[in-house]
Amino acid sequence: MDEPLAPFLEVRPEGLYCPAFDAAVDPPLPARRAIVSHAHSDHAAPGHEEVWATPETLAIYRRRNPDWTGAAQVLRYGERFERHGTTLELYPAGHVLGSAQVYFEREGRSLLYTGDFKRVSSRTSVPAAAPPAETLATETTFGLPVFRFPERPVLEDRLVTACRRAFEEKKTPILLAYALGKAQEVALALTEVGIPTVLHGAAWKLLPEFEAAGHAFPTSRAYETGPAQPGEALIVPPSCARTPVVRNVKRRRIVYLSGWAAREASRADFDADVLIPWSDHADFPGLLRHVTDVGPRRVVTTHGYARDFARILATRGLPAEPLPSARERLSEDAGAAEEESGA
Amino acid sequence: MTAYRVLAETLEAVSRERGKLAKIETLAGTLGGLDGDELKIAARLASGSPFAEWEQAVTSVGWATVAKAAATVTGWDLETIGACAAAIGDLGEAVGLLLNEDSRAGEILTVSEVDARLRELARERKAAGKQAAVEAMLARSSPVEGKYVIKTLSGGLRIGADVTTVEEALAQAFGADRDAVARAHRDSGDIGETAVAARAGTLSEIRFRLFHPIGFMLATPIETADEVAGELPVFAVEDKYDGIRAHAHKSGGRVALFSRTLDDVTAQFPEVAASLGKLSGSFLLDGEVLAWKDGRPDSFFRLQRRLGRKAPEAEVLEEFPVAFVAYDCLARDGRPLFEEEWTVRRRELETIAPDGGLLVSPVMSAGTPAELDSLFDEARARGNEGLMLKSRDSTYQAGKRGRAWRKYKKALATLDVVVTAVQQGNGKRAGMLSDYTFAVRDGERFVNIGKAYSGLTDEEIRKMGTHFRKITVGRYGPVRAVLPEVVLEVSFDSIQKSARHKSGFALRFPRIVRLRPDKAPADVDTLERVAELYGQLIGQPGRSA
Repeated sequence: MDEPLAPFLEVRPEGLYCPAFDAAVDPPLPARRAIVSHAHSDHAAPGHEEVWATPETLAIYRRRNPDWTGAAQVLRYGERFERHGTTLELYPAGHVLGSAQVYFEREGRSLLYTGDFKRVSSRTSVPAAAPPAETLATETTFGLPVFRFPERPVLEDRLVTACRRAFEEKKTPILLAYALGKAQEVALALTEVGIPTVLHGAAWKLLPEFEAAGHAFPTSRAYETGPAQPGEALIVPPSCARTPVVRNVKRRRIVYLSGWAAREASRADFDADVLIPWSDHADFPGLLRHVTDVGPRRVVTTHGYARDFARILATRGLPAEPLPSARERLSEDAGAAEEESGA
Repeated sequence: MTAYRVLAETLEAVSRERGKLAKIETLAGTLGGLDGDELKIAARLASGSPFAEWEQAVTSVGWATVAKAAATVTGWDLETIGACAAAIGDLGEAVGLLLNEDSRAGEILTVSEVDARLRELARERKAAGKQAAVEAMLARSSPVEGKYVIKTLSGGLRIGADVTTVEEALAQAFGADRDAVARAHRDSGDIGETAVAARAGTLSEIRFRLFHPIGFMLATPIETADEVAGELPVFAVEDKYDGIRAHAHKSGGRVALFSRTLDDVTAQFPEVAASLGKLSGSFLLDGEVLAWKDGRPDSFFRLQRRLGRKAPEAEVLEEFPVAFVAYDCLARDGRPLFEEEWTVRRRELETIAPDGGLLVSPVMSAGTPAELDSLFDEARARGNEGLMLKSRDSTYQAGKRGRAWRKYKKALATLDVVVTAVQQGNGKRAGMLSDYTFAVRDGERFVNIGKAYSGLTDEEIRKMGTHFRKITVGRYGPVRAVLPEVVLEVSFDSIQKSARHKSGFALRFPRIVRLRPDKAPADVDTLERVAELYGQLIGQPGRSA
């Protein structure tokens, strides 16, 4: 498999490139034309001249890059675009609001690029779709069998329990959840049980996009309006764990919400009292299920435990290999600054 | 019949609690409900080992054996097991995550049975037999049980609780005095027996017994004489020897030497056992095994030639002689002296062999920091590491590091070095890139000279970790080779010749002093400078390597 993604995608030093649409896919640096799977910063670099994405992703991209002057091409789930005999269609990825998988088809051949995805539904996204494809280019952030995450209702129960214990101990629950997607879902889960939330600015400024999608945050407010009061939970990105936003709260109970929270070691990384393996990525069984449902003849893996997941598939008789990418993340970087991959 | 699961879940709950008091309370809750052998076993397992210290037993199950057993039980191949352990940062934790609640087979494990199996492991000599025994336990384990079985086999639970936590939990569970529990543990060499006595209210009946290893009293380091300026008169001052710390138990003709790790090392030093065996009476001494030549301590490098040999040959004994220098007496003719002041213990020590049949460390005193520093220089001139300061009115706190004893060592020199590889740490620093291999400059290339584990704060390590991930250029198992651009200042106690490092030298006890962002890799010290320092070292009296 010298060119494992041909004829749809080429692996170039600057990232994935689609010749039929003359577009880069999730390029990490500013590109002339970019197909953007979702608005997390590790997939949606600022400064593209032209962005093709779902309306939700474009709205969040604009919110985060207010000075952006590039051109936008709206792609809705299920709409098909054709150019030079290749069609392109976006499918829900279930990762965050607006996230999409990119499906390419040409003369009976097909490729599904998953971007980041998950197979379970959560408060602001539907589960990832699994259209049949000849080649599957899948993310493998959690591509090892130790990563098995409980169902969302179980995780939400743990979250609520952690907050209530903090209140009993006269402490402020500090919830480490990245700003796009997880922060809002945490706020929605707490709204439902009557726990008001204070949101860090990075998450707060994205609420209009979530409200436009039909979600309401009647008991949330911005951190700018003042520190958390007794009975309120504070939601901040994990990068704030060791900054004054958290340190100034003298009586606190830190809850780390991430797939990486499956590792006890992340307790020390984030000074966390409670670890909840709450992820917007597919866990290992989810990755396997996606492979089964898409039914590809070959698989290309990228991100996280790409090498290990490819080997596991290969031992089951499915040709698979990690994406030969210069920017491939090293597999043991679990728990390193995973600010915006949605782990 | 108590299920092992109850204990495993308690240990898990202890690891989740962050406060010391909450950990103690959680452990006390479970231990308080146990009795008899189950209490004995649970207390030992909670302290991390299935055995009493005096038993001198270890399960000796290597990482590979556990990984193979986990592969068989979980159905995953060895490579995946290894990748999972690396991803999670702990093999026991990883296997716990791979086991399923509902695929557990057979009867549930009881506390007594886990104890019996671990004891079987200690007896079993063959790797295949050990693997089968581990498989038998894992097959019947739920995730949390599997996790703690493996953590126990790995020799460290890493739940933020140590044997002192268990002592305090026992005191709380059975309404006993903390010091009485600690004393009974010290004298019995068994937290299990201590637990049973705490429950029965018979702690005071536990008596010290010779030939059961006892924990060592440890010293807090000082770097300058000024740190103890105000307290100097209370301290007895002795040379700090560069040898192997040992407790010598003696009764009749029987002698046993135990090392800091509580291993029996008697057979390694037959001449020490022979000379102590000639003395009269029974006693327990604290002291140091030293390379010995012409009536004075010789280089540690020569002592090293004696280490790791179970029964040294006659030529080795002749070429690398050793001696035992005593500096404390912890029991004499059946009477324990731990609770006595240092002055009293010292008097006892001096009367064991007034005719000189026992080497005893000389005691000095210093009234001012300047006097202490001149004693320090004299100690170094005698080939010793530095000084020990012992508070004259202090009792012997076995197994504890306190301020009653201080050790005064000065770094030999510092070197500026560049980091060439990093690795994840263990324990508290699992998952952090905390272990650095570093190099000095040899012309245009960098040659490794040592590896250091500490000295930076967690915050610094974390920040550096992010940087090291960015400059990683290769991976060899758990080791990341990095671009040589981070400069550190390291201190160390000594330099020795080493075939392990390309430089041909290794630093002894290197410690990171500080990051040197002000220096470029081109500014680091050279191999010539290291050779020069080595030359100065071996030129020192008593340091002829």
